[in-house]
Amino acid sequence: MTRLFTDVAADPEPRGEIVGLWTRRAVLTIFAAIAVLGLLDVFGQGTTQTAASTPAAVLRVTAPKAVRGGLFFQSRVEIRARRAIAHPRLVLDVGWVEGMQFNSIEPAPVSEASRDGRVVLSYDALDAGERLIVWMQFEVDPTSVGHRPYGLELDDAETRVASVHRWLTVFP
Amino acid sequence: MDLVLRTIFVFFLILVITRAVGRRELSSMEPFDLILLVVIGDLVQQGVTQSDYSLTGATMVIVTVALLTVVTAWLSFRVRRLRPLLEGDPVILVADGRILERNLRRQRMTVEELGAEARLAQITSLDDVRYAVLETNGKVSFVTASS
Repeated sequence: MTRLFTDVAADPEPRGEIVGLWTRRAVLTIFAAIAVLGLLDVFGQGTTQTAASTPAAVLRVTAPKAVRGGLFFQSRVEIRARRAIAHPRLVLDVGWVEGMQFNSIEPAPVSEASRDGRVVLSYDALDAGERLIVWMQFEVDPTSVGHRPYGLELDDAETRVASVHRWLTVFP
Repeated sequence: MDLVLRTIFVFFLILVITRAVGRRELSSMEPFDLILLVVIGDLVQQGVTQSDYSLTGATMVIVTVALLTVVTAWLSFRVRRLRPLLEGDPVILVADGRILERNLRRQRMTVEELGAEARLAQITSLDDVRYAVLETNGKVSFVTASS
């Protein structure tokens, strides 16, 4: 019976324990790195702003660059017309709708269409100096993991006025 | 980012709650306490992960909780002054055979409950108890006159 104790006492620092200790420390370091990356918004869902400025308009998109399955989030599109835009149209990259539940869009577009696989939202004419803000609310489909283009183009009918290029990552 | 921040907030909220509720209540799990614990767990989950169904989110939360557990344990080990705050101090309930009613009252503990704890420790009478201490884990340890 006493051998159960004497055997342990004979090797107070077994190699397995030392290896285990360093493994535990390494795992905790990885944990700390994950938590720090989380705080730095690497895994979503903090928003960033991308803007494009042309003589005709300023186009500004505020949205997350990374999201996770199930999250609700908002994307905000702001257009400030520098000259009159008779037929403002927002042409969305595929990432705006692929694997997303479109909960609401305010103000709603006058019409929706498709152009070469991209969704086109048409709005009423904008006068010079006028501002249009579109709020879009989404929920991420948990099964649609990936990295997709999340750019946006502002057209006056078929003519490009301004465009921003962004990407959206959906984490599993 | 806010997932990690929410986890940190909830971790310290639970720490404060457990310290405020008291060790006795948490160590003696009655059916009601058990159900309440499950309900609290569900409410906490809703507050932390909200609509997030992702593995990434779950990983971040679990990793953050694990890290905070290790950090608080390390702080408690290294910083003596933080120990009462994080773990609490043992409370003496019987000293030199005399029951300290005031300490029992502070722990919302009756003499009958102390007697029940003594019975569980195979002690037949409180008269045999020389020292009784409510440990930080909520258990009562006894030193009998004969030991």
